[in-house]
Amino acid sequence: MNRERVGPEAAATPRKSWRYRLANMSWAIPALVFLLVFFVAPLIGNIVRSTTEGAAVTSGASIYYQKLLFDSYYSGVLLQTFKVSLITTIACLVIGYPISYFMVRYAGRWNTLIVFCLIAPLLTSIIMRTFGWNVIFARRGLMNVWLMGAGLISRPLDTLNQPIAVYVGLVHVLVPFMVLSITSVLQGIDIGLEESARVLGASRLRAFLSVTLPLSVDGIATGCILVFVLTNGSFLTMLLLGGGKVTTLALLIYQQFSVTQDIGFAAAMGNVLLVFALLCLALQARFVRRGGIKT
Amino acid sequence: MKNDAMPAALVKRRAKRDPAALGLGIYVVLFMTFLLLPIIAVVVVSFSASTFISFPIQEFSLRWYERIFEYKPFMNSLLVSLQIAVASAFFGVLMGVPAALAVARSHSAWAAAVANVLLAPISIPAIVLGFSLLYFLSALAFGISFLSLLITHTVVAIPYIGRTALAVYRAFPPDHEEAAAILGASRWQTLRHVTLPMIRPGIFAGALFAFLISLDNLPVSFFFGTANTNTLPVVMLSYMQNQFDPSIAAMSAVQMLIAVAMLLVVDAVYGIERIMTAV
Repeated sequence: MNRERVGPEAAATPRKSWRYRLANMSWAIPALVFLLVFFVAPLIGNIVRSTTEGAAVTSGASIYYQKLLFDSYYSGVLLQTFKVSLITTIACLVIGYPISYFMVRYAGRWNTLIVFCLIAPLLTSIIMRTFGWNVIFARRGLMNVWLMGAGLISRPLDTLNQPIAVYVGLVHVLVPFMVLSITSVLQGIDIGLEESARVLGASRLRAFLSVTLPLSVDGIATGCILVFVLTNGSFLTMLLLGGGKVTTLALLIYQQFSVTQDIGFAAAMGNVLLVFALLCLALQARFVRRGGIKT
Repeated sequence: MKNDAMPAALVKRRAKRDPAALGLGIYVVLFMTFLLLPIIAVVVVSFSASTFISFPIQEFSLRWYERIFEYKPFMNSLLVSLQIAVASAFFGVLMGVPAALAVARSHSAWAAAVANVLLAPISIPAIVLGFSLLYFLSALAFGISFLSLLITHTVVAIPYIGRTALAVYRAFPPDHEEAAAILGASRWQTLRHVTLPMIRPGIFAGALFAFLISLDNLPVSFFFGTANTNTLPVVMLSYMQNQFDPSIAAMSAVQMLIAVAMLLVVDAVYGIERIMTAV
C-alpha cells in the first residue's frame, strides 16, 4: 500500500546523459520539515515518555516494558493481539483469494460491480459498519429474526459480544484490502502460463497450485502484511463487538488513556505496537519485490 | 486482455460456463452480500420509528433524522469534521505534491529516504500516532485545539496524497517536461502548464482519499476530544456507548451521503474513471 519503488525502473531507461528534472530536492523541504517535527519527533517523544513517566521514575526506566513482557496478564494480551491479527489475516486470505481470482479470470463486465462493492465500504464510516454488525447480531437483530423465521433455531443466538462477532467485523473491514492487493498482482500474470500447464497435461488444480499460486505470492504477502498491521492497530471493532472478551494491545491503549490514565504505560504499549508495525514493514521490504499495491 | 492469444478450446469452454466458474460466481455474489449487508441494514434501521433496534421493522419514519439535526453535538462535530477534512487535504496537497515531484525522478539515497518519510505515517498504527501527538503538541503549548487536530490530520493526509502523486508522476516519461524546457518554458510555466495537468488525477485521487480518511479517523481524533474539537466519529462513539438508538444509524447514513456526494462532485469535475485509474 505504501511502499513505492524508488529507483530500479529508472535504471533501465536508455537515455541517462541528460534528464530534465523539474523539481529539485528543495521542493520536499516543507513536507519533510513538517513530518520531522510533527511525526518523527512525537514518536521519539513517546519513547522518552515510556521510560520517564509514572512508575518508570520510581521503579526503573524499563519497568513498563518488563510489565508488558513478563506480567502474565499483559503478555497474554500481547499473545491475544498476535492471535487475533493472525486469524484475521488468514481468514481474509482464504475468503479474498477466490474473489481476486474470479475478478481477474472470469468477471469481465461484472468486474466494475465487484470493484464498486469493494470500494463502497470505504465511503462509510467504520462506526457505521460496526454498528451494522451490531444490528445484525443483536438478540432481536436481523440474523436471529431470519434464523428463527426459517425455523433453524428456537431461541435467539448470543453472537454479539463474542469473539466471532469481532472476527466477522474485522474481516468485513479488511478483506477489501486483501482482495485489491492480490488482484493487482494476479492481473499481471499471463493467463497463457496456466494454459500451457493445462495443455501439457496438468489438471486444473495442479495448474493453479504450481503456476498461478506461486506467481501471485507477492500479492499474497503484500495483502497479508497490510491486513496484519491494520488489525494490530484496530480497537473499535473489539470495543463495540467484543464485549470485553477480546482485549488486544490497541484496545488496552484506548482503555489506559480513557480510564486508567497511566500515560507512561500507554506510551510503552504504543511503542510495542510500533515495533510490531516496523517489523512487518521490514518483512514487506525484504520479501515483496514488486512494490506497491493499488488501493 | 489476451483474448486473441487464447486457445480456441478455452474460449468455447468459457462460453459454456463451466461449473467451476459458476460455483465461483455464486461465491462472489455471497461475498458481495456480506460486504453490503451491514451497510444496508444500517440504512434500513435509520428509517425505523421505534426507539430500539428490532426486526422486522414495524413502522417507518424520519424521526431519527430530525433527532440528529436537533442534537447539537452531532451537527457541531460534523462541521468540525468537514472543516478538518477539507483543510488537512488542502495542506496535504500543498506539502505532499511538491515533495512527491522532488523525489519521484531522483535516484539518490536521499530521495529514497525522503520518500520513505513521506509515506511512513500510513504505516504507523493511528492510535499510536494520535497518542504521541497529543502529548507532543500539549508540551509545545498547542494544547487540545483545532490547530492540533488539523496538524495531526495533515500528518495522515500527506502520505495518501504523496503516494498517488508519486505513482501518477512516475507513470509519465519526462519527455513532455523536457520538450517544454527546450522550447523555453520556465520552471514555473512547465509546472503550471505541463506537469500539474498531467498529474491532476493523482492529486484529486489522493486528496479525495485523504478527505475520506480524515472524516472517519477515529483513532487519531479520539485523543483531541473537547467540546470545540470533537469530530463526528468521536461524538458518535461516545453516544453509542451510552445509548443504542437508531439516531446513530441516521447519522451514519448522512455521513455516507456526504462521502458519496463528494465522490459525485469529483466525478463531475474530473471523471471517476480517471481518478480510479490513478488510485
